[in-house]
Amino acid sequence: MPAPTQAGRAPGPPDGGWGWVVVFGAFISIGFAYAFPKGLAIFFKEIQNFFGTSYSEIAWISSIMLATTYGAGPISSILVNRYGSRPVVMFGGLLCGVGMISAAFCTSILQLYICVGFITGFGLALNLQPSVIIIGKYFLKRRPIANGLAMAGSPVMLCTLAPLNQFLFDNFGWRGSFLILGAILLNCCVAGALFRPIGAGTALAKTPVNEEGKDALKGKITEDGPMEKKTEEEEGKDCFEKVNQYLDFSLFKHRGFLIYLIGNVLMFLGFFAPIVFLAPYAKHTGIDEYSAAFLLSILAVVDMVARPATGIVANSRWVRPRIQYFFSFAIAFNGACHLLCPLASSYTGLLVYSSFFGLAFGMVCAMLFETLMDLVGAARFTSAVGLVTIAECCTILLGPPIGGILIDTFGDYKYMFIKCGAVMVLAGTFLFIMNYYNYRMLAKEEKERKKKEEHLKSVRTENEGKKNWNKDSTQDGPELEPLRENGEGVKKEMNGTNEV
Amino acid sequence: MTTQDSSQPEVNFVTKTQVGSESSGPNFSVQELKPGGKENSRSVSEHEIVLIGASLEKKISLPSPTKVDLTCKLDDSSRLKDPQVTWKKGSETISHTSKTQNSWTIQVTVSDSSQLGSYTCILKAEEEISATFHLQVPKLEGKEKPVITYERDKAVMVCKTEYNPKAWTWYLANGTELVPIDRILRTDKFQIKRPSPSVNRLEILKLTKQDGGVYLCEATFELGNSQIKFELKVLSIWAPLMPFIAIVAEVAILFTAIVLYEVYSKRKGKVSQKTLLRHSSSSRQRSKSGSLKGDLTNRSGNYRKAMMYHKEDVCSYGF
Repeated sequence: MPAPTQAGRAPGPPDGGWGWVVVFGAFISIGFAYAFPKGLAIFFKEIQNFFGTSYSEIAWISSIMLATTYGAGPISSILVNRYGSRPVVMFGGLLCGVGMISAAFCTSILQLYICVGFITGFGLALNLQPSVIIIGKYFLKRRPIANGLAMAGSPVMLCTLAPLNQFLFDNFGWRGSFLILGAILLNCCVAGALFRPIGAGTALAKTPVNEEGKDALKGKITEDGPMEKKTEEEEGKDCFEKVNQYLDFSLFKHRGFLIYLIGNVLMFLGFFAPIVFLAPYAKHTGIDEYSAAFLLSILAVVDMVARPATGIVANSRWVRPRIQYFFSFAIAFNGACHLLCPLASSYTGLLVYSSFFGLAFGMVCAMLFETLMDLVGAARFTSAVGLVTIAECCTILLGPPIGGILIDTFGDYKYMFIKCGAVMVLAGTFLFIMNYYNYRMLAKEEKERKKKEEHLKSVRTENEGKKNWNKDSTQDGPELEPLRENGEGVKKEMNGTNEV
Repeated sequence: MTTQDSSQPEVNFVTKTQVGSESSGPNFSVQELKPGGKENSRSVSEHEIVLIGASLEKKISLPSPTKVDLTCKLDDSSRLKDPQVTWKKGSETISHTSKTQNSWTIQVTVSDSSQLGSYTCILKAEEEISATFHLQVPKLEGKEKPVITYERDKAVMVCKTEYNPKAWTWYLANGTELVPIDRILRTDKFQIKRPSPSVNRLEILKLTKQDGGVYLCEATFELGNSQIKFELKVLSIWAPLMPFIAIVAEVAILFTAIVLYEVYSKRKGKVSQKTLLRHSSSSRQRSKSGSLKGDLTNRSGNYRKAMMYHKEDVCSYGF
């Protein structure tokens, strides 16, 4: 294993400074990626009338868009591995804009499938993944907060887009609205411009002069990235090439990744269906349309607040080392809400349900990517997120239709809620148990590694440094290992309170 | 003489309206009902309103001649006891029958439009409450807000109802005059399609600004006609183009600003690097050893972590 002699140049993730600007850019980007497909629903009735098609043909637009956004995850990951986040997001924003602008001139439903479904969906995929990835590059200590803030973009954008879309539609019809929405989506390029490259993969061979100069400076990251890569790059070129060319399929041997994958795939079966059916359920119980819409607004507002709040909680000393438990709890809490929903028959009951649902939904979403980063580490996160999204893609698409079938067969919404609740409680319990097992295995591996290191230390000379570049373990679990130094407590390191 | 149209949808149900609270003033709860309440062997539809303490209304849509039974029922929990009951249509009193105690029924044979209207049962005791049934032709569904289209595009107006009318007619409002579109025999401009018996579409092709205005959709039922208005607005392509250009300009400006700021800060960084280099030639040796803890910021704890963090980034393990 190469032992870089110049290690120590890297100032590391800044955990602040320009990072907050990046969080803002990610906020916009993620907001568009999640909220835009939902916001389009306003136009569907008019488009359906215009082309004379059935409702299900129009619903395909949404499905294709969602499928492309999630299914193109691996492609997004490969591109980010190769080119970095910034160009990918800018290209994604451009694609979205072009897609919607061309959709404004469509003359058939098939063209809409392509323009709105594929092109815009692919553009949104190129927006979503890199935004999440770059947060992992800019933050470590305060990563949960950063994640929570960035993910809050989704409900905020939804609350903004919904009335905006209605306004555009009333004034410009659907064609004019698509044209203007295309221009609005170009703002993703602006968000992308904020993603200054940092970290591995962006370092170029710099002259020693530069390196010296940078070392003497404060530990600020400039857009040139850390400098120690010069020698490392030559030695590590093979593995870099690997990463750049392929997706990191060795992740499938990673215990934590597999746990996360199975738990999440299960969870998404029951994640989105309740939102889709909340308004129809409310109308079914006799509530009028505006109050039903208000339920969704309550959900969005609570969601908006819950995400950063969860980020702050997850960052605290007590929760961060056990963040996987917190995540499993959030999922189970979500499931419990759905299971209790059939008991709420009055409007106040549904209001309470909406608030708790908003809270639970926000908690899960805020930690969705944080827990994955925690499990696989920032380097492999790029590939991990791509693989996870394509696996989730299937269940996400299946969730609402299965719920719909349940509703149609039984004529009652409660079975759909029970199904969603049961699936999520199951997923939460599964994750809880498996992560307990995972933590124990990791602690065991820690102990073994410590023993090895102490043995090696006594053999090694002083010159080779205090840095233990011991990279034997293929199970490169969470940042427990890299954060460990001089035998300090694992947990203490992880929660990042080891501030000097 | 009075036969129910066999092509009518067989959705039948009786809905009982109950007033939740006994407020002092009239509390109207209005519902649209499809005809055919409860089907019995003689194909008479039944509709019932249950009164507790306040007045109620109900709308009933009748597409074709039929017989309807309208029943007023007094709930046991009501304060009124043994009221005096009259059924009226306008000022005309109708005789009723009482099937059970506290329920009073009239049967109306609707054979043409003159029998449509509002039928009220008035219960008078300590106070007076009433229940009104509005018998009417089915309403049409259209678009309340204006339909927005563009020049050289096509406009589509879809008129829907729940029943199958005998005929559909579209009119163009020319001032106060209504011109039937069938008479404007221009198939390259106007197309009327009937995808299903209860839905009718008017398509206007090759739009121009003059095509904007009010259009009327009329459905002819056996008992009368029902109408709905559509407002068509034809915009020029420049209407959405202005906001579009404005937003694209905003994107371009922000983008340029960000890029310029980055170039500027890069240059600043390089300048300060050069000045530091001149002063730090002696410290070159020190820097190389890696004991930079003291040199960097006070976040040395992070620094150590960061070193390890970057070890990951180099992906030198796990492969």
